[in-house]
Amino acid sequence: MNTLDQTAREAGGRIVAALATAFRDLDLAEEAYAEACARAAAVWPTAPPLDPAAWLYATARRHALDIIRKRNIRQKLTLDAPEPEPSVEDILVSDARLIPDERLRLIFVCCHPAVAPEARAALTLRLVCGLSVQEIARAFLVAEPAMFQRLTRAKKKIAQAGVSFEVPGPDAWPERLSAVLSTLEVAYARAHEDAAGLGPHAGYGREMLDLTTALADLLPTEPECLAFAALVRFAEARRPARLDAEGAMVPLSEQDPARWNKPLIREGEALLRAAARLNRSGPRQLRAALQGVWCVRRSLAEPPPWSAALALYDLLLAWREDPFVRINRAVVLAQIAGPATALAEIEALDAPRLADFQPFHAVRADLLARLGRRGEALLAYDRALDLAPGPAERLWLIRRRSEL
Amino acid sequence: MQYMLLIYEDESLYQDDSPDLEAVIAAHQALAAELAEQGILRGGDGLKTSDTATTVRKTADGHALHDGPYAEAREQLGGFYQIEVPDLDAALAIAKRIPLLRDGAVEVRPVMEMD
Repeated sequence: MNTLDQTAREAGGRIVAALATAFRDLDLAEEAYAEACARAAAVWPTAPPLDPAAWLYATARRHALDIIRKRNIRQKLTLDAPEPEPSVEDILVSDARLIPDERLRLIFVCCHPAVAPEARAALTLRLVCGLSVQEIARAFLVAEPAMFQRLTRAKKKIAQAGVSFEVPGPDAWPERLSAVLSTLEVAYARAHEDAAGLGPHAGYGREMLDLTTALADLLPTEPECLAFAALVRFAEARRPARLDAEGAMVPLSEQDPARWNKPLIREGEALLRAAARLNRSGPRQLRAALQGVWCVRRSLAEPPPWSAALALYDLLLAWREDPFVRINRAVVLAQIAGPATALAEIEALDAPRLADFQPFHAVRADLLARLGRRGEALLAYDRALDLAPGPAERLWLIRRRSEL
Repeated sequence: MQYMLLIYEDESLYQDDSPDLEAVIAAHQALAAELAEQGILRGGDGLKTSDTATTVRKTADGHALHDGPYAEAREQLGGFYQIEVPDLDAALAIAKRIPLLRDGAVEVRPVMEMD
């Protein structure tokens, strides 16, 4: 990876957030940042910057001011007084640590409940994580022009409807925070599906680590925030063990804990403990705990934590009925009460509603296979395969099917 | 920024006088007084029912009149507030406080700014 790509990945979100909140203009921030990157690509090979992030920020800021001057807009906003153009020396000596961290404000803007839900995650990934429209379109299985339009519409709404660039006040806080967290969950679910981490959003799991760290640091008294940061850590910690040598998915209970990222797990555990100390339970804490009970396993020789997982699934269902949770719970229940009991649970679900839900068919196929109902299991595997699973899961499903 | 808060309700509920209706009207008056007190209110009123509406549509050779509201729907525009607040969140917070007789919706629309 070259310096520009690396800097963009590490500091792009902060730079765009600082520009967007300073100028209260998402398009301007995006355009100025893109221009700075284009200049960097032209200049850096012959004149490498001392501090690449600071260079990008200073250049983007100057370009933003240029654009404003050109637009000749006299805005009533309290912009910082226009600075004299930074000289090359200024740019070279400025320090990336001076870029204000406004990512939280930008996240709240992108995840505003007045923005269409299907645009929030995309906008956050575009502006805060710096993914390209093409990458986001692929991750969300939408054509690129459609995704571009979705982002454009969301930015227009934010600009025209007067969405605030401030972190919301106490009245709006619960609703706004919940919109942020569910948006980021949607975003992370996409990153997590990419088990190999080599897909178009490679590293986007890592960006979610950064984003949730920022969120947990900025909101240390919000247990659900800390819990979500913990969950992302537990899930990312297992990434190295999620695929076997052939690239097929390895189920959680068969993953070798020796390959899990221990420091990341410890971070997750510390976050979850901090969340628990705040004494306000919530579904995200339960979901993180569900991941956490697995991560204490040290080797495949230790028994899997089936009963702890089952208890957590029950608590989660007590919070809210959810067919997806039921399906995952059935996997655990099969280990404790046998596949027949688990299958009965699955069969009790609203099958027509879940007809296009791949995990429903995959879990059902597995349970049928264990019960020796080969014909039905084959059909269920076929259905799961029809529903376009990711490459790792596809390989795994094909293997299980062929073992019948 | 200025926003219009457009109130959509099933207007058939407003046909008969009822204690509920009186309570809603009183709540509107209280809210409007409070907003005026805070210097937020720029205007607003209740509208007569949509069967009193006449829609004027421009046509190729003049104008066509239609006896009725712009769009037939179960819920009709029945009133509005015009407010001036710092941002959308403040407007949404006020929209949530608008009294409704039963179900209904409040559309929050930014007013165009003329510089």
